[in-house]
Amino acid sequence: MADHLSTTFSALADPTRRAILARLASGECSVTELAEPFEMSLPAVSKHLRVLERAGLIARGRSAQWRPCRIDAGPLKQVAEWTEQYRRIWETKFDSLELYLQELAAQEQKHDGKRRKK
Amino acid sequence: MMASGVRNSGTFRVTTPSDTDITLTRLFDAPRHLVFEAMTKPEHIRRWWGNLGNGYRVPVCEVDFRVGGKWRFVSRHPKGDAEFYGEYREINLPHRVVFTEIYAPFPDTVSVVTADLTDENGKTRLTATSRYPSKEVRDMVLSTGMEKGAALSYDRLDEVALSLATTKP
Repeated sequence: MADHLSTTFSALADPTRRAILARLASGECSVTELAEPFEMSLPAVSKHLRVLERAGLIARGRSAQWRPCRIDAGPLKQVAEWTEQYRRIWETKFDSLELYLQELAAQEQKHDGKRRKK
Repeated sequence: MMASGVRNSGTFRVTTPSDTDITLTRLFDAPRHLVFEAMTKPEHIRRWWGNLGNGYRVPVCEVDFRVGGKWRFVSRHPKGDAEFYGEYREINLPHRVVFTEIYAPFPDTVSVVTADLTDENGKTRLTATSRYPSKEVRDMVLSTGMEKGAALSYDRLDEVALSLATTKP
C-alpha cells in the first residue's frame, strides 16, 4: 500500500497533472479537450496522462479513435484518507486557537480600555 | 462537529508543496502579535495546542523562546502521552519563527517548521511548513492517527481534486 501511495503522491506532485485531474473531476473528456487549456503539445499532455494512468488516477477508454479519459477515484480516495486524519487533528487545534485568540483579544481590549480611562 | 461554528474554519488548508513538505495555512481573527503570543507563551499554548476534545490536556509545556532555546510539549489523553520537543532556530517577530520538531518516539527524525504570519484584510494568515527528512517520513506523518476503515465520502473527492489543482507547487 505504501508503494502505491508513493506512486500516487509523485503523480500528483505536478501542477499540470493536478489541473488535468481537476478538469476530469467534472466529467470525462478526450486528450485534445484536455490539452486545450495548456500551452503544451499533444505528446506532452499524453506523457502526463501516462503518468496519471500508471498511478491508477485515470482510466482511458478502449476505443482507438477517441480514448476518453476519466478520473479513477480509488487512489485519490486513499490519499485523501491519509491526509484527512492529519487535517482533522490540525483543524481542531486551529479552531481551538481561534477561539482562544478571541478570548485574548477581548482581554486585551478590556485592558486597553482601562488604560485609556486613566 | 466543532469546526462548523468557529470563525475562519473554512480557510484551513493542508497541502503537500513538495515530496518532503506539509504546509498548513489558516486565517485568524486576531492581530499578528496576539497570534504569536498564543503560539509561543506556555500559558497560552496549554489552552489550545493539546485541546483535541474531552480527556486531553497538556501537563508539560516548556518554552525557552530565544534562538537556540528549547521547547517541549506533552499532550496527554486517556490512551497515553504524545511528547514533542525541539529548538528555536530563527525568531523574527512578528513575521516568522523557525524551529525544529521531534516526536519523542522517533528522536532521530527531525523536522524543521517555518511559521510565517502575514496580514490579510485585517486578519492574520498563519502559514506553517514542516519539512521532513524524507518523503517516507512525510507520508508517515500524514497517516498519523489513521483509523482502520475510516471511510471518506466520495462527495469530498471533487473538493480534494480541486484543492490539489489550485495548490501552487
